[in-house]
Amino acid sequence: MAKATQHELVIEVKNMCKNFGPTKALRNVDVSFYRGEIRGLVGENGSGKSTITSIISGMQKATSGEVFYKGAAWNPGSMVEAQKAGISMVLQEANTIPNCTVAENIFAGRFDEFSVFGIVNMKKLNKAAQEILDSFGISHIKAEDSINRYGFEDRKLIEIVRCVSDDTEVFVVDETTTALSMEGRQLLYKLIHKLKDNDKSVIFISHDMDEILEQCTDLTVLRDGEIIGHLDRSEMDKPNSEQVIRYMMVGREIGDAYYREDYDSSHGDKVALELKNVSLGEIKNFSLKLHEGEIIGFGGLSGCGMHEIGRIAFGLEKPESGSVERNGEKIKGCFEAIQSGIGYVSKNRDTEALILEGSIQDNIVLPSESELSHTTFISPKKEKQMSDKEIASFRIKCGDGRQWVNTLSGGNKQKVSFAKWTAKGSDVIIMDCPTRGVDIGVKQFMYGLIADMKKQGKSIILISEEMAELIGMADKIIIMKDFAVTKEFMRSKELSETDMIEYMI
Amino acid sequence: MSEKEKVTPADFLKRHVYDIAAYAGLIVTFILFLIFSGSRLSYNMATVLQAASAYSIIALGAVFVYSMGYMDVSVGQQVGVYAILMIMITNAMGGTAFGVVIGFLVILALALLCGAFNGAVAVWLKLPSIVTSLFLMFFFTGAQLLLMESTGTNSISIQATIKPADRNMYNVMLVLAIIVVAIIVTYFFKFSKLGKYTRGIGANEVTTAQCGVNTTKWKVIAYMAFGACVAVGSFIMLTRTGSAGKGTGSGYAMDIMICLILGGMPLSGGMKSKVSSALVGTFTYVLLTNDLTTMGVDLNLINFVKAVIFIAIIMVTCRKRDTILPR
Ligand SMILES: Nc1ncnc2c1ncn2[C@@H]1O[C@H](COP(=O)(O)OP(=O)(O)OP(=O)(O)O)[C@@H](O)[C@H]1O
Ligand SMILES: [Mg+2]
Repeated sequence: MAKATQHELVIEVKNMCKNFGPTKALRNVDVSFYRGEIRGLVGENGSGKSTITSIISGMQKATSGEVFYKGAAWNPGSMVEAQKAGISMVLQEANTIPNCTVAENIFAGRFDEFSVFGIVNMKKLNKAAQEILDSFGISHIKAEDSINRYGFEDRKLIEIVRCVSDDTEVFVVDETTTALSMEGRQLLYKLIHKLKDNDKSVIFISHDMDEILEQCTDLTVLRDGEIIGHLDRSEMDKPNSEQVIRYMMVGREIGDAYYREDYDSSHGDKVALELKNVSLGEIKNFSLKLHEGEIIGFGGLSGCGMHEIGRIAFGLEKPESGSVERNGEKIKGCFEAIQSGIGYVSKNRDTEALILEGSIQDNIVLPSESELSHTTFISPKKEKQMSDKEIASFRIKCGDGRQWVNTLSGGNKQKVSFAKWTAKGSDVIIMDCPTRGVDIGVKQFMYGLIADMKKQGKSIILISEEMAELIGMADKIIIMKDFAVTKEFMRSKELSETDMIEYMI
Repeated sequence: MSEKEKVTPADFLKRHVYDIAAYAGLIVTFILFLIFSGSRLSYNMATVLQAASAYSIIALGAVFVYSMGYMDVSVGQQVGVYAILMIMITNAMGGTAFGVVIGFLVILALALLCGAFNGAVAVWLKLPSIVTSLFLMFFFTGAQLLLMESTGTNSISIQATIKPADRNMYNVMLVLAIIVVAIIVTYFFKFSKLGKYTRGIGANEVTTAQCGVNTTKWKVIAYMAFGACVAVGSFIMLTRTGSAGKGTGSGYAMDIMICLILGGMPLSGGMKSKVSSALVGTFTYVLLTNDLTTMGVDLNLINFVKAVIFIAIIMVTCRKRDTILPR
């Protein structure tokens, strides 16, 4: 690995292997990270990106191999130890501590800096935390608030804030951007560039090729736990770089067809799901008609209220006034919603969408047990068939359906969360960030599924932080801001992200 | 796909460490049992079977409750009251077989009702299930005392034959009862919605609800299934003792819990819950008690030994083995 630039080496990984039982997550990985670079780390779901970075940042130990940090052998015992030594990582899933304040979260593990004889000076702690929040430009988050008050995006920002300090030498961002709305992403981009300019090292994991090509200075590609190759900036700037990288990641050509190709936004006349003058909290008198064979997209910045609309439509939150109806019947809770054929892919993957301490099969068949049950008997064979079919079509990377979900990589978990509803064959599916953290191949497959569902007359609500996804898939896009609709766009070739952004900010 | 590497014996051991430990415990206590019984083996076998029969049937029912991560502390007093009621009803009806049937149906109905109460009240009042079962425990403690006061004696006996005169016949009957209950429980726990949903509730209630499971309904059903087993277990216990008093059933709730834990049931419930825990655990527990007694250990010391084993198991199983990345 000859490197042309004169940047100083900061982390060197030598011959690292990591096995989980029979699974080989990393195979003889050699890789070096330098100061003053933003190193992209890409690869399919389950290729080992989180595994490498989590070993570097002290979350787990390698099976064999060595790591050198600033020239010395590096074996951190914990994340806190690594962070104190200057290596910090933003994890893929939410990693804030519930039932604590924002300030406590930011300084978790560092209370000794604020305490005298074991008593923590809360005032000082809150003040220091707020100063940090302000310095990152996210003053809307208040240090003394309970973390439970904040949504997924804000929690992610709080995590980022926690990770970065003056002593940060190496900053790892693991697949965080898809959880962030546009403003959060901008904030993160600015931050990593600042770190790079200060001669720090950034490791950036993402499945968004545009983002990788725009933000990173170097790129490393992984496949099945092996390093496939490195690209420097000049190679990344070549016109066909995207295809090259994709080929390196997947090991085969995947077509360019990605989003829906038609611009036909016609749909059935029958209303599949209706929200009638729904009010809840800051959402006032919201109405929506979703027809059979229609895909309605929702876009907006964090805190715009679009995620709440999804939760109300699925009966998770009870509106204060107004109603949610399907086939003339009121949906009072998620039980009724599912009974009437509605499915919901939650954004809170680990807490709501999945039983982490359960097998892939347990998770996939759970919504469908009623259909599988004949006079109380559920055939294990049918369950296995159902789950194996989804595992094969989503290409979930696992030993078999009995593997526990908490041992899957982030993207593979997302596939399980999605597969639950395709297995059940729900007629209306509410999807909150359905492609979060999945690789391009799987995205392509999911978009294909969504398009097929439309053709079959199924209805979809697609809530997404990714505008390209909305433009590519939705018949109608509803832009929200401050809990109200600011604009509706119909599907068209001309529609661009800038058109939409105007109504978001 | 990562190619399928062979599962090494070490991996297998690591994955099944608790199952192996549970079965090893059973085997060790059984071997000790064989050694200490000596010539009294067949007599001791029958004793163990009779002691284990009521426990194992109640523990089998408790699997539904424990798999949700809940527990029940009222079962001992329930057993006591059911036994007393059953005797009173049977005797009042002249000790006929019909009286026995009616008596059993009454306690079955009561047990189902208490199950429904346990499940439903916990949900409606959003109380932890331990609170409702504590309430039931106090309630039944009172009921047991009042019922016995009303008889004016310390112990009442059933005036009907509910047990085959032949010892061997009786043992066969007990074995059959355990097998039948075990088969029914296994069926509902492994092959029907009930078990799948209770395990789901134990593993992640929010997710389970968002999969269209009416968790309130299934909690109630699970507790009722447990109730049915408690009724059957009470009857089986009564066949053995033929009488009941103020102390009948006391300590059962703790014993059931220890049995399940010894058998490898996780206290938090979830997908790892197994029916076999109930049987393995109960027999280990009863054999252990028997071993200690034949070894001549003092009764108080036996309880102490049990407590130590209990704590040791909790400490081992509650330790997080390998941390798994949140991703
Ligand atoms: N505790 C575990 N037990 C078994 N397998 C595991 C465990 N942890 C990780 N793995 C496996 O290791 C492989 C690498 O996972 P890793 O999380 O590093 O992937 P990733 O590249 O981050 O993927 P993604 O893009 O989906 O986040 C996966 O196949 C995963 O299933
Ligand atoms: Mg990952």
